[in-house]
Amino acid sequence: MNAGIGFKLSHLQAMLLFALLISIAFGFLSRRRPIDRVKYIVWSLFLFLLIGVGIGWAMYPFSR
Amino acid sequence: MADETTAPAAAPQDSRRETMAFVIGVAGWLVPGLGHALLKMWGRAAMFFLTVSMLVILGAGMRGNVFSSSGNDAFDALGYLADLGTGTFYLVARSLETNGADVSHAGGDYGTRFLATAGVLNLLAVLHAYEAARGRKA
Repeated sequence: MNAGIGFKLSHLQAMLLFALLISIAFGFLSRRRPIDRVKYIVWSLFLFLLIGVGIGWAMYPFSR
Repeated sequence: MADETTAPAAAPQDSRRETMAFVIGVAGWLVPGLGHALLKMWGRAAMFFLTVSMLVILGAGMRGNVFSSSGNDAFDALGYLADLGTGTFYLVARSLETNGADVSHAGGDYGTRFLATAGVLNLLAVLHAYEAARGRKA
């Protein structure tokens, strides 16, 4: 019997989760004060998403 | 006149601190966040445990490739090293993925990246805990 877990995430959901988790880890790793951590996490998440969506659109002309 | 080419013997306290730093590094590798917990950095410990465990659970749930030691090429070996970075969570990933990897769809491929990222992130946390234990500003 197979009891493995399974997630079906869209591309966007996977990117969002990945960006969020990595941003949180980097924020806690590189900043000490809570307010600095929050700023870092928000900024890092924003850049992750901006660059991810930007690269996605840059590849769009070559997708077919 | 003292011989300047001879380094002074390391103080016992330095040696003890180095040993403790090594133990903390190994503990942090085995259980993500444990190194920071031993240093009483509770926030970092909790967050590293949560982020690494979430990445492993998501990666295995998306049926990413959990590399084994019997890889065929250098990329498999690198993937294995990255996956091993999660410590005991490597075994968790293997036990969660009872259906095996499926990288024929994008989700499985993303899962492989999630697992490798979890390992590399944990190694980064281990280095951080090790340096903090040695007295470097963290």
